Parts: sequence; C-alpha cells; structure tokens
Amino acid sequence: MVSRQPHAAARQHAAARQHADARRDFLKALSASSLAALMAGEPRRVFAESSTSPEAAESPAATADSCILIWLAGGMAAPETFDPKRYTPFEKGVEVEKILSTFPAIPTAVDGLQISAGLENVAQVMDRAALIRSAVQPDLGTILHSRHQYHWHTGYVPPQTVAAPHIGAWMAKVLGPNNPVIPPFINIGQRLEGVGEKEELKAFTTAGFFGTEFGPMNLPYPDAAARAVRPPEGMQPGRFADRYKHYRRLVDASPTREWSSAYQQESMVRAMDNAYRLLQSKDREAFDLALEPAESREKYNTGRFGNGCLLARRLVDAGARFVEVTTEYVPFLHWDTHENGHSTVERLKQEIDRPIAQLIRDLEASGKLDRTLVVIASEFSRDMMIEGVPGSEARDQSRAKTDKLAEPKHYGLHRHFTGGTSVVMFGGGIKPGTVYGKTADERPLIAVKNPVTISDLHATIFTAMGISPKTAFEIERRPFYATVDGHGKAVQELFA
Amino acid sequence: MPAAEQTPIHRSAFRVRSPRTLHSSGVAALVLLAMLLVPPASAVDFAHEVVPILRQHCGECHTGNSAQGALSMNTRELLLKGGEQGAVIVPKDAAASRLLELVTTTDESIQMPPEGPRLTDQQVATLRNWIDAGGPWEAGFRFDPETYEVPLRPRSPELPAAREGQSEHPIDRIVDRYLLEHEVPWPTPLDDATFVRRVSLDLVGLLPSDELLDLATDPKLSTTDRRAQIIDRLLADKVAYADHWLTFWNDLLRNDYVGTGYIDGGRKQISEWLYNALATNMPYDQFTRQLIAPPTPDSAGFIAGIKWRGGVNASQVREIQFSQNVSQVFLGINMKCASCHDSFIDNWTLEQAYGLAAVYSQRPLEIHRCDKPTGQQAAAAWIFPELGNVDPDAAQPERLRQLADLIVHPENGRTTRTIVNRLWERLMGRGIVHPVDSMGTRPWEADLLDHLASDLAAHGYDLKHTLRQIVTSRIYQSQSIIESADNSSASSFVFRGPIAKRMTAEQFIDAVWQLTGTAPNSIVPGNRPKPKDGPRPENPIAALRGDATVRASLVVSDLLMRSLGRPNREQVVTTRPADLSTLQAIDLTNGPELSALLQQGAERIVATKKPADKLIGGLFLNSLSRTPTSAEQAAALAIVQREDESQSETNNASENLSVSGVEDLLWAVWMLPEFQIVR
Repeated sequence: MVSRQPHAAARQHAAARQHADARRDFLKALSASSLAALMAGEPRRVFAESSTSPEAAESPAATADSCILIWLAGGMAAPETFDPKRYTPFEKGVEVEKILSTFPAIPTAVDGLQISAGLENVAQVMDRAALIRSAVQPDLGTILHSRHQYHWHTGYVPPQTVAAPHIGAWMAKVLGPNNPVIPPFINIGQRLEGVGEKEELKAFTTAGFFGTEFGPMNLPYPDAAARAVRPPEGMQPGRFADRYKHYRRLVDASPTREWSSAYQQESMVRAMDNAYRLLQSKDREAFDLALEPAESREKYNTGRFGNGCLLARRLVDAGARFVEVTTEYVPFLHWDTHENGHSTVERLKQEIDRPIAQLIRDLEASGKLDRTLVVIASEFSRDMMIEGVPGSEARDQSRAKTDKLAEPKHYGLHRHFTGGTSVVMFGGGIKPGTVYGKTADERPLIAVKNPVTISDLHATIFTAMGISPKTAFEIERRPFYATVDGHGKAVQELFA
Repeated sequence: MPAAEQTPIHRSAFRVRSPRTLHSSGVAALVLLAMLLVPPASAVDFAHEVVPILRQHCGECHTGNSAQGALSMNTRELLLKGGEQGAVIVPKDAAASRLLELVTTTDESIQMPPEGPRLTDQQVATLRNWIDAGGPWEAGFRFDPETYEVPLRPRSPELPAAREGQSEHPIDRIVDRYLLEHEVPWPTPLDDATFVRRVSLDLVGLLPSDELLDLATDPKLSTTDRRAQIIDRLLADKVAYADHWLTFWNDLLRNDYVGTGYIDGGRKQISEWLYNALATNMPYDQFTRQLIAPPTPDSAGFIAGIKWRGGVNASQVREIQFSQNVSQVFLGINMKCASCHDSFIDNWTLEQAYGLAAVYSQRPLEIHRCDKPTGQQAAAAWIFPELGNVDPDAAQPERLRQLADLIVHPENGRTTRTIVNRLWERLMGRGIVHPVDSMGTRPWEADLLDHLASDLAAHGYDLKHTLRQIVTSRIYQSQSIIESADNSSASSFVFRGPIAKRMTAEQFIDAVWQLTGTAPNSIVPGNRPKPKDGPRPENPIAALRGDATVRASLVVSDLLMRSLGRPNREQVVTTRPADLSTLQAIDLTNGPELSALLQQGAERIVATKKPADKLIGGLFLNSLSRTPTSAEQAAALAIVQREDESQSETNNASENLSVSGVEDLLWAVWMLPEFQIVR
C-alpha cells in the first residue's frame, strides 16, 4: 500500500491536468440546458427499442401543430349545448322529472345535425367540426369539480403518488415550442389566487414531475396579457435593454465564470436570455390585444372569455403550441349551475357563441385551421335529476330542489352528470361533419353508443399532435404514460 | 429470512389473484351501465398481468441466476432465444409456441412447472393473448434487476488511517481512500469567502451576516479556528436554523399552511410541533417517534395524511398514504408501486404495503390489488421482521408505538442511513445513495454512509452533530466541481467533490428580503383564531422567534415563490428542480413581486446616501461574499450612473444616486448565477 501511494498520487495529478483540459471541450460540446436536466435527474423518456418491443411508442404523424383547448369549466350541460334533447319550456307546475332540455334545438350547417338555441354562430361552423356525443367520466363518488378537472387535464384520477403533468405540459415536454420565443403551454382566463378551490386548481395547472420548464404561462386576464411580456411596469425600453446589456457584462466579468459549475451557470444564463428574447421580440406583440384592429376586437369582445379566444388566436398565429382558454372555474359560478340554470346558460352562450365561431373562421381564413386542433370540453355534463350516474352514491348538490317548477330558479340542469357528454373538435386533421357516439333520448341520458373515456379522448388529441398515447417517462423508476398505462386509443373515426 | 429486498425473485408470500369480474355489485342498473361504459377489452398488460404469472410459475428456475434447461426469462431477448430444446415462444403465434404446450399438457414428464400448482385457465389465456399480441415487454424491464444486497443493520466501518499530511477527519479519511482508488484528484480547497457563504446558506439558509464575513477573514485566527467559530455560531442560532430546515421538513412531511384538506378538516398542520422540534434540535429518534406515534395531537398530522373528499383509489386511502409516506420519508423505500400490486421495480409486496398500512388502520383493512378487493384482510406487520414485529392484536396507539420503536431500533441502520444521506445530499449536492428516496440503490461509498449513520446514532441522534461533521470536513470545504454528463447514472457514478446547488425559492426570497430590509411583518403558522371574548392567543412560533426577521418558510407561498420551485405539498417532496426555467426567468425579469421588492430596496439604499463605489462594494460583499473586481466595479458603476431619460436626478457617483439605477444594479447582481447558486 505504502509503495503504491506516490504512484497513485502522480496519477492523480495527471488526471487533474487532463480534467482541466477536457473541461473546455466538454463545455463547448454540450448543450448546457440539456445537461442541467440530466444532472438534476429529471424524468427521462422511456424509449422501447422497436426491434424488441412491439409496444414501442412510435410517434404518429402529426395532423396538427397547435392545440387550443376551450374549457367550459364547471360542467357544461350537453343537453343545453351540443346534444339537445326534448325541449320543455318554463311553465309553473311542470314536473321537473319531465325536463331534459330547457332550450329548443336549432339546425346547423350540417344536414340533420342540431345543437341548442343560443349557439347560432357556432351552428354555422359545425360543418368544420367533429362532434363526440358520448364522452364519459368515471364515478368518483362525491362530485368535486376540481377532481374531475384534474382527471380531465392530466388523464389521471387524483390523488396520485406523483404530481401528474397537465396535457399542455406533455405537449411542451414532448414537442417543445413551435416558435422558440412563445412559451409552449399558455393558460388563459383562470385565476389561481383569490378563487375557491385554488389549491386544487394549482394541483393540475402544472407540469408536475416534468418540472417548471414545461409548466403553464398563466394569463388570467387576456386584456393584461401584454403586461406579462413587457419590461417591468414603468421601465422605459431603453433602460430595460441597458439593464440587460450591463447584466451580461457582469456575467462575463465574473471571476467565477470559468470554473464553477459551468452547466448550471450556462443553463441559468440561457434561461435569462430566453426571457429577455421574448420580452424584446416582435412576437410578444401577439400578447397585446390592443394591437388587434377595432373591428376584429369587437367580434370577439363578449368579456374575458371572448378576449381569451382572440388572444389564443393571436398566440397560435405567432406559433404557440398549446393554449387553454377558459370561461374560468369559480365554484357555483358560470357553468357550475346549482340553481337558475336556464338563465345562466343563456348568458353563457352569449359569451361563448360569437368568439368561438369567430376563432374558427379566423383560423380558417389564415389557413391555420388545418394544422390547429381546437377542442371544446368540460369536466362533465349536467342533468335535471341525476347526480353522477344512475346508481351513484354521489350526494345531491342542487340548490333548487323541487318536484314541480314553481319559480325561474328551478328551471335548469342543476345536477352534475358523468354518464355522457359532448366534446367538439375543429381542424387539425379531424374529419369535418362527423358525429361520433350517441346518448339516450330519454333519461338517463347516458352514452349508449361508442363511449369515449378521457384516456381515449386524450389519445385522440395526442395522436393529432403527433404524440403516441404510449409515450412514457420514467419517474421514481417506473414508467408514467401519456395515457393511463399507455392504453388510451385514439378514435380513428374522427380523423379525415 | 433475509430482508425482502435481498430475495430477488422467489417469495413465499401469498399471491393475490386478480378477480376476473368487475361486477361485484348487485345493483342491476349499475351493472348494466358499467357494461355500456366499459371500453372493449384492451391489449394485454404485460407489467400487471403477465409478469406476475411468469414470476409465480417460472421464476424460480428461469429467472435471476437460474436458467434451467438453458432457458432464462430475464429479458425478452433471452426468452425469445429459448433454451436447450429451442424456442419456447413464437411471437404472434401462441399455437406454435412451446411454452403454451408445456403449461397445458397433462404429460407429467414435460409439463411446466414440474411442481407446484398449475396455471389456471385464466392465466393460460392471458399468456396466449400476450404471445398472440407479439409478446410485448415493458421497456427496460428485466426479471433480474441489479441485485445489491441492502444492509439493514448498522455498521461502524474501520476508518482508514489518515495519510501523512492529510486530514484526520473521519469523512476525509474515507473520501481520501476513495479518491485514491478511483484516481480522482482532491478538489481545490475552498477560499474563506466562498466557504462562509456556502456554509451559511447550507446551515441556516441565509447569506452570511457582516459579523460572519468579518470572522471569515479575521487575520488573528487560523483558518481552522475561523471556520470552526463560524460553524459554531451558525449551529447555535436556533431560530435561523429552524427557519431554514422548516422548508426541508415541510416538503418531506408535506406540511403546509394552506392547501387541499386544511379547510374541511381533512388534513392537519404540524407546524408548531415541527418548528419547536427544530428549534430545540430534538434528537432524531425522538423526532421520528413523535411523528409515527404522536404523544399529543400536535404531531399527528403527518401520519393522518390527507383525507380526500369523494371516493379515492384504494391505494390512496389514508392508511396506504401512511404506508407510503413512512416508508419513503424514514426508510427511503418506494412503497407506492407495492401498494397497488407486488412491485416490479424492487421486491416489496402488496402484502407488506398493506401490513404497514394496517399498523395505522383503525378499521378492518381489506387488501386491494389494482383497486379491486381481494377478500383478504391485512394484518399489521413490520417489513423487517428480523428486528421484531408489531403485535397485530394490539390497539392502534400501541401498534404505532411498536412501529416507532422498530423504525428507530438500534439495530435498524436503514433509518439512520436514510437521514444522513438526505443531509449529505443537501450539503454536497448529491446523495451517497442517489436518488435519496431509493435507499435500495448501491451507495458510491458504503463505508462513508455507514460511518455517518452509526456516528449519528452514537451521538444521540443529534442531526446538528452530523451537519457539523460534514461541514468541518475537508471535502465539504472544497471547491464545487464541474460534473460531467457521463457521470450521471447511478450505477457508474464516481464522486469527485461537492456539487453546487441552486438556491431554493425560500433562500432566494430570504436573501432579497435580507439585503433590502423588505421582509413582511408577521408569520403565518402558529396563528390561532381570536376568541370572541378576549385577546388573540399568543403565537408559539412567533414567541420562540422573538424579534427575528420573518423568513420565507414562514409565510404562504406566493406566485414568485411558486415560480421559483416552492412545491405544492400534496405529495412528499424530497428534491426540487435544479435549473432555472424560462418562465421563472420571465418572472424574475418583469414580475411585479420582485420589481416591488427591488424598488423598495433601492429606495432604502438611496436614502442612506452612500457613494456609488461604497454601495457597489457593499452589495458585492453582502450578496457574493467578495469584493468586485475592477471590471465588475466598472460594469456596476455604468449601471448606477446610466443616464435615464425618465429621471431628472443626476446620476453622479458623488451625488445622490437614482432609485432606478440602484434598482437595476440590485437586479443585475442578483440575477448572476454566482448569486443564485450555492457553490
């Protein structure tokens, strides 16, 4: 041992020299940010070798480059929107049991296809849409919006032992941005502070175990979105540019620049560069609704949601990957109608009808619709009588319980229904004019043909975007799939 | 019997058979509906359906080190290769596959398995479907995972003699031998300034105070004495220590001040107990006992977990949360897989996961496999029975006490190894076992891990002792190294020295508050509701803290902290993201929270009327623990002296500085990687 030591020590010195030499080459050769990710032990994609495994997650050919999710939060009643049933007008004394829909049906641009009154503009673009009328959700016991929303947005029923990523985060992680300066996952219209169930909302409005790089850019107020990508309030552009220039001077002047933890330094500076690039680039104008011509603004401007649709369109035009626009989830508000359902939905339709139709028309006019998948969805449907599904133990949460209509507040679908609901898709490779699945014509209005689970729905969306539903990342030494156990199956009938 | 992890394949434990029908409920409507809604039969699930069959019937002779008849099923390639008699499987052609013949034939001379129960018809059908589907295999799965024998009992390794002129510190003696063996040079010693910044951030989460900075360069003291005094002072500051480690423990014990479950009583804080335990440096054995077998309701929140509203998956009921969290936090065992089915990634079983759950359970607990009831009741049991066991017939509080005794049993080296590894990871940037929740993985130096673990027990489970041992070592007091990409896999990792860490969200915010004097006035945990009659009760945490400045760990997370990685604490979190993301960088560049702090800070600094060069020198010293180089001084001066079109003040070094110039200087210095990295 003693005689070995000087020799070993000499080798240590030689190794030290080599190490120093190797370092420079190494730094040049490697992308700092990917190395940082590697060192941090971030989840790695599980690639099955196709030669040995038929389960290999081969990426399907993408039919869409961008995805806009229009999220009608709170439980959009399908019988009041895209799946009208027998209409019963308000009249005192009517047995509520008899009521299926509180709006009459109207024709659409597709022969024989009817949707609910109040959606006249959307009706005119239904010939560009595929309509799923048989989406189903599992019975989770007590109905809790945020749990179903978590399930819808991540594909996994909470609670989970790891933080599941939002589908937008899957797209950000697997596909990355379309345009390097536009964040790949943008979430419009949902406040995460100052609203009920905010912690539960945060739990799925996240990249989960993918890490914050793939998380959402949250823009709760579309009108104020420009502020999120502007220099700090009150800072002149010249000062902002100078601040950055001097910062980079300081970075370069730092005596630690060369030797300490280079990959961490590099990835940090690169992130600052990316942020600065976005905040300086012309593309950031996409966030600024004030730059939209007044006439066009007017077409969308039904409030926050309508402006959100306009913002989504501008962002997709600029190269966004995934954008969610919501009417916003606030317990007992908007689509979460526990009473006064009819009048609330009447107002909500006014809010969504023009902007959604305009969004489709604008995307079509610009040629973007072919490669942009627009999805309209909600966590579940609603029903006049049934909470959950028939036989469910879910607690009745209606606030307007009655056997017979006595006053307007009784009129509407006040219970949460998970047995069958509608999802609409436009563009992005789907076959226009398709109607898929069916719900019963009489209560219970459950899906009676081709039920589509959330896994299959996600598989459909992922497939359109060119992501295999079997895509998996390793977390805690086990594979975590884009759809549960990799089993989601795309609904092929929806594709052109 | 050896510990569960040591038996690679064949366990005598019972097997849970998956029920073949979904419709156990008698409600006709439900069944009808379920039939309508169940999607068509999906493809064979290799991991959940096929692996258990192969393991049960073929594993003993054809997996791991056994390959009877030259047939090994360890990997798909090996299985396809077949054995002495040729191929046993023809993908996509079950009828032509010998395997099916062997498991179905009645010819006793060739039937498989030769002994033991035969495959059920269902199992045969599963194999047939699987082969007809082409024999899909889980990527990377093998039946013979690296068999590292995880020691359970503690071990006090004999320390190597210190080489002449080398550090006598026990850690360094082991590390020196390791580096020599691996032909890795010792990293360069750390200078005093970098040391004081690193050790202050590591032990109390704060940038070094002026006093510590002075002490770090006190010419009257030797380097060793200076550093010893710095370490003493930091560890003696019980408030700063508790404030800092609260973040680590809140993440680990998923304790928070707001969040899922707190409003409706489905979750309970342990904040007051935890803060007190940290401030008094409660010995770790006692700390663990009080969490697992709470003597008062104050520490009961951890084992009680989160009661979710509505129905939850059987693997997420409170009892199973208990099993998962106790295993992960104290033993570095991932029981999450095993709480749904026997684990595929190690050898923990469903029965063991439920045995642990039943220790906590106050109701009969039926074992569920993949969320389906098995008809079998769980019995309380400990997972390392060689140390003793829990009496399943005892009352719950007694069972919990017995479990706590076993977890901190003097012969249980697993618990001490797990915690010292976590502390090493916090301070050195990467665990001796990596990742830290996977204590079944081979450490890069077992003697080091075992020494630290035994040393903790020998010193009364004093965590500050272990921290002191680490920070007084020469290896801690070395420059952080540049890690290379090919050194990232756990199996081939070679330790070269400390790895720099990114500041946590709390450390960053604390630093900004510290340097600008902008910390908020009051803390959140420990506040109690004010009774109708009478004054608001005293906040016990505030009482312990006295007039100490409020720290980020003691307020509710805000957008900036969330953005910088403070987690949502619904899951146990043991490591945070190491890199700055672009969205975080945007928040740091234009976010209103940071902008407001910068402005307030700049106003205060300008009001002191310090000349620019003094201001820059002080800012560098307090932020980076060093003075600026002349190039930096010039770059910094250019920022504060910039002509600002919106300002009427003169930006002359000798005159009053502009608030905006100082704001920009603060920003530029705090965005430096050197600031945000603890190196």
